[in-house]
Amino acid sequence: MAIPLIDAPVPDSVRATAPKLKRNGKSAKDPAVVILTTIVCAILLLIIGFPLYGLLTSAFAPKGLEVLARMVTDPVNHRIIANTLLLGLIVGTTGTLVGFLFAYAQVKVKFRGKRALHLLAMIPIVAPPFAVATAVITLFGRNGAITNGIFGWQADIYGLPGLTIVLSLSFFPVAYMNIRGMLESLDPSLDEAAAGLGASKLRVFFTVTIPMLVPGLAGSFLLLFVESIADLANPLVLGGDYTVLASRAYLAVTGEFNMQAGAAYSLTLMLPALLVFLVQRYWVSRKSVVSITGKPAGATEQISAPSIRIPVLVIVGFLAALIVSIYATVLAGGFLKVPGVNNELTLAHYQFVLAGLGSKAMVDTTILALIAAPIAGLLGMLIGWLVVRKLKRASGLIDFIGMLGLAIPGTVLGIGYLITYNKPVNIFGLQVFPALAGGSAILAGAVAIVMVYIARSLPSGQRAAVSALQQIHPAIEEASTSLGADSATTFRKVTLPLIQSALLTGLTFAFARSMTTLSPIVFLTTPGIKIMTSQILAEVDSGRFGNAFAYCTVLIGIVLLVILLLNVIIRKVVFRGQSHRR
Amino acid sequence: MDNLTAADPTPITADASEFAPALESGQVTLSALTKRYGNRVDDPIAVDSVDLDIRAGEFVTLLGPSGCGKTSTLRMIAGFETPTSGHVTVDGTDMVSVPPNKRPMSMVFQSYALFPHLSVRQNVAYGLRLKKTSEKRLREEVDTALTIMNLMPYAERAPHQLSGGQQQRVALARALVMRPKVLLFDEPLSNLDAKLRVQMRNEIRRLQKRLGITSIFVTHDQDEAMTLSDRIVVMNQGRIEQIDVPEQVYRHPSSIFVADFIGRANFLDATLLVDPVDGRARAFALGLEREVATHPDVSLEGEVLLMVRPESVILTPNPAADSVHGEVGRVLSAIFHGESVEYEVETDTGSIVALVSDPAANEIFEPMDTVSVGIKADRGWLLPVHAES
Ligand SMILES: Nc1ncnc2c1ncn2[C@@H]1O[C@H](COP(=O)(O)OP(=O)(O)OP(=O)(O)O)[C@@H](O)[C@H]1O
Ligand SMILES: [Mg+2]
Repeated sequence: MAIPLIDAPVPDSVRATAPKLKRNGKSAKDPAVVILTTIVCAILLLIIGFPLYGLLTSAFAPKGLEVLARMVTDPVNHRIIANTLLLGLIVGTTGTLVGFLFAYAQVKVKFRGKRALHLLAMIPIVAPPFAVATAVITLFGRNGAITNGIFGWQADIYGLPGLTIVLSLSFFPVAYMNIRGMLESLDPSLDEAAAGLGASKLRVFFTVTIPMLVPGLAGSFLLLFVESIADLANPLVLGGDYTVLASRAYLAVTGEFNMQAGAAYSLTLMLPALLVFLVQRYWVSRKSVVSITGKPAGATEQISAPSIRIPVLVIVGFLAALIVSIYATVLAGGFLKVPGVNNELTLAHYQFVLAGLGSKAMVDTTILALIAAPIAGLLGMLIGWLVVRKLKRASGLIDFIGMLGLAIPGTVLGIGYLITYNKPVNIFGLQVFPALAGGSAILAGAVAIVMVYIARSLPSGQRAAVSALQQIHPAIEEASTSLGADSATTFRKVTLPLIQSALLTGLTFAFARSMTTLSPIVFLTTPGIKIMTSQILAEVDSGRFGNAFAYCTVLIGIVLLVILLLNVIIRKVVFRGQSHRR
Repeated sequence: MDNLTAADPTPITADASEFAPALESGQVTLSALTKRYGNRVDDPIAVDSVDLDIRAGEFVTLLGPSGCGKTSTLRMIAGFETPTSGHVTVDGTDMVSVPPNKRPMSMVFQSYALFPHLSVRQNVAYGLRLKKTSEKRLREEVDTALTIMNLMPYAERAPHQLSGGQQQRVALARALVMRPKVLLFDEPLSNLDAKLRVQMRNEIRRLQKRLGITSIFVTHDQDEAMTLSDRIVVMNQGRIEQIDVPEQVYRHPSSIFVADFIGRANFLDATLLVDPVDGRARAFALGLEREVATHPDVSLEGEVLLMVRPESVILTPNPAADSVHGEVGRVLSAIFHGESVEYEVETDTGSIVALVSDPAANEIFEPMDTVSVGIKADRGWLLPVHAES
């Protein structure tokens, strides 16, 4: 697909002499832009377009239609849909609340240890999905080290309560970052103005701060809603008989070997996810009163009034302690024979992960994520640049497709890949490429895994690029053009260095997300390629929590190490000597 | 920042002729140049069939109110916007199919648009590097450009370590070093403070005269246009209202719009008595019959107005409504500006603004004083009421 080039409405009198004119002044004549746009579109089609298409055709095949029909008629399916939506609503609310409390404490409340709190809030981003669930079972489950060990209580955390706790603690960082950004960019003079009118601190909070944050809160809620209804890992481990659409689709594919049913359940899951994503994107973000890019207009006043400070700090402190104990369990659990039950020290789990049977997963996963991250990061920058600077009409669509990796549940994407790429792709009877996923795939399915990694991790870089570019005056790039640089050169020599921190963000998130993603991967792993997250699932399933904890710890370690290296490489080597003001 | 600004008043010196283009190159022609944003025929026209011939080495200013299409016109010349129709040619070569990075032009932006991640020297060298200039040659050229612009002491600094004026010089050096046939400026001085603006514009003018590079300069500041230009192009709503040397634009504006936009003007009801001959005619205005210069479109058929600049109005005490002094009026307000006093005077013809320069202390009128109102000989300009272009 190329960008539309439309003839100008030139009056006939002029057309006779004038050479053919192209309308869109932004891009029409630049071959580099046309080529880059074509490449981007082709990639998006491969990693998102085709699999979605495959999923849709499968869901609307006879067997799929049968399941779709039963969605409406069968009370069991009603139950599953209701479960899914309820989970989304609850986690959306609690996660946003936790994120808000952390952000509020971080920005507005006076206390020591802000940096530590910030790091604590960021840990879930680099942690694999099972870490929290497994640790929570170990601590608070039927034989939980705390519930049973200390209080002698046989707690049942399987089902909705456990899912709520685990998902809220896993996903709240998204809300935290969103709301923190908003709180920081709120003009403190507003607070001051309200206080100057005689409002007490508490009233300022409810009449000024909260209303200004409503778009941010709503946006976070919706994002968390999408994330939690899409989650597969935790319902599998912790769901008990609380079935949600994601786990149902998984069962259909891996247990009942009914691909069409899987597609139908996925489609049902995708609808609310997509709808909420659209609302978030086109309604909430438009309503936002605070400019996201705005720098703080002054130092934010830190609240020291006890009526706010003490309750906020107590709750945040409790949550922080919970998070610390969970990750401490992950860390320690890897060294215990049967964590929580037989607490003898052992190195067997780490030996299994680092040197034994489990080490292939570590190597495979890291390599694939290392391949996917730079592609996703650069692709994100490129799409951001095309969307903000170069394309007019196609820009909204391309931006939207790029962001779909965030909106489409991983389960959906994984099933889509399996359906579309488990056989060679033929166009007009010609084989374009061989099978990429499934048992007979080339490279044991590694290609499909890298593709799904890219699709999943593209949005963060793209969003960072879009907002970074919107802050850079377009004249800077025009100056480069005016000095003789073509579009590609300008992108390389001017744009990319200027958005290097967006690139770094993109790469970091791409790598972390690739390493920690599970829901699409469980459908794509083959005997020939092992992925850590799906290995962890297997270990947890068979009750070998020690191995799971060791895997989780190693995975977190790898992610942190690579992020550290990325920072060093990008800042010191790639853009060496090009200091620039932030 | 303060000490940086203080370092600015170093005029551009050195020998600038190095960057002079080959003689008689840089002739720019716009023909029927039109821009309509949006693709529907009823979308408003930003630039409406502009025709303009710019001689090699000429300094032309595009002047007009906000939104009249100056920037759009300039950006079409630079190639950043594609014309909806019409042509841009440089030295006879049609530019429409030439991408902006291949056009023999350099643009200086309002926001300076320096590359923030490169030093001053790297900024100036950027374009030459792309041309694969040899390292030695590149150094010489960049040094010359930096010297001309008095930027040598700042060569290794980052752009944000410079004052606004210095940043604008870097932008200019970066453009000059490319030896363009045409220099394009989009309100380059509007981010500077008033004093620096005057100083920079004098320097730009000196440099341009010396180098003889064709320059197209967009501004909405009439002072800038008057002092810089060989010719001024006054635009309004996408159309050219007038193209002329500054003095003509000021004294003999082609329309009420131009008269009003450039400087200040009184428009007085007048009656034409005879058809104009050789651009002059007799008309009755401000209580007297007078001989005035007339706009070519003035004829006995249409209504006319007499344009008088405030500084051409003469106020005299000892009121006497006679054939010498014209009408009698009453002073409504008197504002002391220092070098001049501005009066608003109420007459039978309407209220008139007068600017009396360098008044003696005892000659300043007070509100409610009665004065007689006259016009300096030969300063009136008779305009048709509906002169639209
Ligand atoms: N990219 C664009 N898309 C749509 N309309 C535009 C665009 N750029 C300019 N316009 C419109 O075209 C008209 C002319 O704009 P232009 O920027 O050329 O004005 P200008 O004379 O430079 O004004 P100013 O003095 O404010 O810079 C305006 O009505 C403006 O709204
Ligand atoms: Mg403009």
